[in-house]
Amino acid sequence: MIGNIFLTIALLAGIFTTIMYYLTYKGFTNTINKARFGYHVMSVMVIVSSILLLNAILTHQYQYKYVYEYSNSDLPIGLLVSTFYAGQEGSFLLWTLFTVIIGLILLEYTAKRGDLEQRVMLIYSIISTFMLVMISPVLKSPFTYIWAEVSYIDVKSINPNFFNLSFLSNFIFQDQGGQKQFFQISSESYSQLLANGININDFIIHGKGLNPLLQNFWMQIHPPLLFVGFAMSAVPYSFAIAALIKNDYNDWVKQSLPWVLFGNMVLGLAIMLGGYWAYGVLGWGGYWGWDPVENSSLVPWLVGVASIHTLLVQKRTQELPNGKGRFVKTNLFLSIMTFVLVIYSTFLTRSGVLSDASVHSFVAPGRIVFLFLLFNVVLFTGIGLTAISIRWKYLNEHFNFEEDLLSRELALFTGAVTLIASAIIIIFGTSLPIFGKGVEISFYNKSHLPLGIIIGVLMGFSLLLRWKSTTKEEIIKSMKFPLIATAIISIAIFVTGGISNIMLGVFTVTSVFALILNFEYVIKVIAKRVDLIGAYIAHIGIAVFMLGVIATAGFTEKKTVDLIQGETINILGQNLTFTGYQPFQNNTKYAFNIEVGDGNDKIIAKPVMYIADFNNSLMREPDILNLITKDYYIEPLGYNEDQSNDGNVVIIKKGEEYNYENSKILFTGFDFPQDAMQAMSDGKGFQIGANFIVVTNGKTDSAQAFMKSEGSERKFVPAEVPNADLRIELLNLDASGTVNVKFAKLSDPNLVYKKNPPSLSVEVSTKPFIILVWLGVLLMVIGFIVAVIRRTKESHT
Amino acid sequence: MKNKYLFGGLIILVFFSIMAYLFTQTDIKYENDFSKVVTSTHTVKATGAWVKSKNYSMDKVNNMFSFYMVDNFGKEIKVVYNGTIPNNFESCTSVVVTGKYKNGNFVASDILTKCPSKYESQMPNTNS
Repeated sequence: MIGNIFLTIALLAGIFTTIMYYLTYKGFTNTINKARFGYHVMSVMVIVSSILLLNAILTHQYQYKYVYEYSNSDLPIGLLVSTFYAGQEGSFLLWTLFTVIIGLILLEYTAKRGDLEQRVMLIYSIISTFMLVMISPVLKSPFTYIWAEVSYIDVKSINPNFFNLSFLSNFIFQDQGGQKQFFQISSESYSQLLANGININDFIIHGKGLNPLLQNFWMQIHPPLLFVGFAMSAVPYSFAIAALIKNDYNDWVKQSLPWVLFGNMVLGLAIMLGGYWAYGVLGWGGYWGWDPVENSSLVPWLVGVASIHTLLVQKRTQELPNGKGRFVKTNLFLSIMTFVLVIYSTFLTRSGVLSDASVHSFVAPGRIVFLFLLFNVVLFTGIGLTAISIRWKYLNEHFNFEEDLLSRELALFTGAVTLIASAIIIIFGTSLPIFGKGVEISFYNKSHLPLGIIIGVLMGFSLLLRWKSTTKEEIIKSMKFPLIATAIISIAIFVTGGISNIMLGVFTVTSVFALILNFEYVIKVIAKRVDLIGAYIAHIGIAVFMLGVIATAGFTEKKTVDLIQGETINILGQNLTFTGYQPFQNNTKYAFNIEVGDGNDKIIAKPVMYIADFNNSLMREPDILNLITKDYYIEPLGYNEDQSNDGNVVIIKKGEEYNYENSKILFTGFDFPQDAMQAMSDGKGFQIGANFIVVTNGKTDSAQAFMKSEGSERKFVPAEVPNADLRIELLNLDASGTVNVKFAKLSDPNLVYKKNPPSLSVEVSTKPFIILVWLGVLLMVIGFIVAVIRRTKESHT
Repeated sequence: MKNKYLFGGLIILVFFSIMAYLFTQTDIKYENDFSKVVTSTHTVKATGAWVKSKNYSMDKVNNMFSFYMVDNFGKEIKVVYNGTIPNNFESCTSVVVTGKYKNGNFVASDILTKCPSKYESQMPNTNS
């Protein structure tokens, strides 16, 4: 309850702050302190609410529905903390928490810069307030009590000491299969508990727990970083609208730049950490699957990165003597769209519209949240576009320029447009499920190959261009060395790698070209001004990343095999021997040992499989051997052990196929004569046949074994298939559709069925040079950090 | 003509064309009428239910999983999938398969199963 009160106070403080900043903007002088006070109250309330939720999780207070739904008492501390954002309510609270904390820094930052504060913080307070509406008690508060709505909890969650209470039986239900019992928790049953003096937290002693897919290290880092990135996108939005309010478009660019850079650095890193998580732990086989949720966080990043490039041009051009900023309208539009796309992506992934299409979309949250999210998308798009259209005439008169064809300005602009084209294509494909449509993955791959090529060319070529204009002679002169180096390295890659696809070849050449030119620049600049290398390092990172993508996307090999225990088999260049499994974590998980390599050079890979209690499904965790030039990826698919009780008897289901020696034996069903039923009830003799189809060396035979019943005696007649040298002895039959049989050779009746050794099915794949993908991301992040430092310094001047 | 609009416009135009073309090649329709699935030459997401009475089979040698699926109108198709049985297949209420109909079989590239989740089982209306 107290949590809800704090969140409500925070919401009211947010509204108050917004009004006070508005009045300050309108010219009141005594309101700015009230506004600041309001903002701080709001922040403190959100922080305290977050601490309360964390405390409720750590102390297992299952009276809160949210804690019950996502957490459990047996989770280790790190994962327990991460259940804070395992569901909708908590992740919105975390996002709000980051928003207000960033807001506190933003308040300090803008307060030092003239009349900036009231405009920027006005917009930022509106955004914070709307986030607080989302987690208010009427919508998605994480502090809702479990009995607030009627729900059913597994009796396993309930303390068994209370099972003997008489009133309890009124609230116990069975599910349809009759396998599970549920307790109906409602205000009614809660008041009964109270009347009996039972504390709800003594009564419910387990939560539903955390989805096992999320139970690993990356859960503790990927989502929070993503939310920091999302929260940061509100800052350039506020700066852009603040500039439009004042109708002054100079200063906001350098003030906004460090925030844009930092936000995109965090968001980019968070996205790729998600990719690493999917690849290394979840066993999705790759780092990127064009999943709607991945896409929807990538799109704002692309637009944000596009805005960095045009913001830089504006900043550079307006700082020249008598200079006027270029791309002013573009910058305003992109800064607004970055934030709008963050909300739109939240709408896509949280409103339930994609629930059919995505691997990890959240469950549908209900109609009111759907409408509220949609309203937010419309509202913040509306505010931004209205502000631009009001100023459009002025902007068009004052900021309309021609760029020279061979200028860095135009190259950067073209780069931004290319990124936007990518964003449009992805958002188009991702939004299709709303209209009951969708696209194959190849839609994204095929469209991004030419986009990647253009990006590669621009990342290299733009460095040869001077600001304003460049002569052709200069370009030709400075292009000689990079072109020769590109040619040599590309040829080396083609010869060793054997690239046959033309588009992939072109993409390789352009990536190498970008890599070499940026590398050349770093060498030139690093000795003189180390603070300038940020962009080049980031671009080297992107080029390295693109080469990694080419290698993994073009040259991944994949094979599915059954590894029979004890047998060595060569798969994709490695000798694999499955040696058995061992249970761990109290026999809840199984590690499957596969020896890779031979002789003294053996490594043991241990992919893991287990049945998760949480959703009753088989979880698989791959194991990856990092071999420098490639990753050797082993994904377990299933473990097969001969289930027959003794080695001789096999139980076959109807429709099931069985392999024996060289034959495939299919049990097709029973032959149940119409008069058998009557005969059975009359106590007379009857017979039932079991039909088999046997395929041997391409020849198909059908055979029938019988059970004859005479009086109390039952006799079984085996089926014989001379073509297959096979005898099928019937031992028992079950009307539900199974037969117990023994297989033997006709020529040697003593030789009976042997138990198959256990086998492990795995999917093996090699991912060449995937290390370049991670290295590229790392370099990009380092480049971003260098740039953030430089632009932060510049924002003070 | 301004360079800025020429370049920007050209890129956007070219990629809009690429996007439109690729869309006509790769679009996936959701379809719950199998008589349309059978005639479609495009990849579709077909929604239906597994025909339990016809069981399923797993061909381990070729790693092919196959089963029969029925739509709301009672039309059945055979689905083959290059891979293993999806988790929880047997307890599923509905199946969404992505793929194309070829030579009498629906060749699936992806199988999505929808199961009544552990805690969302339908509650009976009567008290026990």
